[in-house]
Amino acid sequence: MQMLSDDDLNLGELSDEELAQAWDLWFDLAQATNDADPPYTHGVFQAVGVVPSIEQPGDSSGSETINAEGRT
Amino acid sequence: MIAVAANVYFDLTRAFNARGPIVALASGQAVVHYRVAIMSKDGDWVIHETADACGRVLEILGDRDAVYRPGAPLDPRWLSGGWSSHFEYADEKGRRIRCDFFSRPPRVAQQAIDRLFAAADDPLLVVDLESLIRMKQTQRAKDYAVIGELAARLPPEQEALLTTDADRLLKLAPVIHGTTRRPALEAAAIGDRDAVVVELAREQDRLRRRDRMRLDAYAAAAQPYLQAFARLPAGERQLPQAHRRVLELADRHLPAHVSLPEEA
Repeated sequence: MQMLSDDDLNLGELSDEELAQAWDLWFDLAQATNDADPPYTHGVFQAVGVVPSIEQPGDSSGSETINAEGRT
Repeated sequence: MIAVAANVYFDLTRAFNARGPIVALASGQAVVHYRVAIMSKDGDWVIHETADACGRVLEILGDRDAVYRPGAPLDPRWLSGGWSSHFEYADEKGRRIRCDFFSRPPRVAQQAIDRLFAAADDPLLVVDLESLIRMKQTQRAKDYAVIGELAARLPPEQEALLTTDADRLLKLAPVIHGTTRRPALEAAAIGDRDAVVVELAREQDRLRRRDRMRLDAYAAAAQPYLQAFARLPAGERQLPQAHRRVLELADRHLPAHVSLPEEA
């Protein structure tokens, strides 16, 4: 059973340059969702509920909250 | 002249390793490297657990005006306890670059990490498929679809032990020789598809709960430290000076080693 879409799996046919170009373009677009991203996607801090923001250290109003959706 | 697009995380890996192998690209960007998916915004690396490796990475991140995000100091004392370190900077296009480091990836044998660095022959060093799959055995359901695709790139004997695809298990079971403790593969060997599906679901649930318990233990241990980190002014989070400050905080508030609960 194929577990990912054809769009994902067609990556195997790209050259190194094409792969880099495709990722770079996607990364540009993905910046739009930065504010909605969970604070951590890897490492051992993923289960931390609230972490201080970089922009407003010490200010709870500037903290990032990981909700249930952000953890999965 | 038109600039050629590049993956900033692949380029960073080459920069970190320019004087010898000290990091291996892992997690989402490794999945990009293996051409399984493209949607990974962050860079995650397994770092060689030495002061020299940490110093080199901090130097390169400092050149890019990176800041420490809340996380452990990039130092062998905490890395050896399984902690992770997190940084962020904006690239020349203003894009957010997040860089995460750990030296003890969960579920990966130390020998596999040692072999990885010993055999490195390319500055773009990427973790091997089996280690990547074990790192992906997380609490997140979406990782298990990726594992199925990664496992399909392994030799049959390894794929049979790691795949999350019931159909692949049923195809592989007749050609796999020897004994295994994997219930899903045992069910596949007798052609019981329903049992394969059930055993795969149980296996994933067990792995997800185990990962969640591990992360909960680290989260609890990190609370006093994170509260202290929250009081750091933004300027004190900037490399290179931030490293000394973060080390001082961790020395007072972050235990180097965490007692993990019994396996679920």
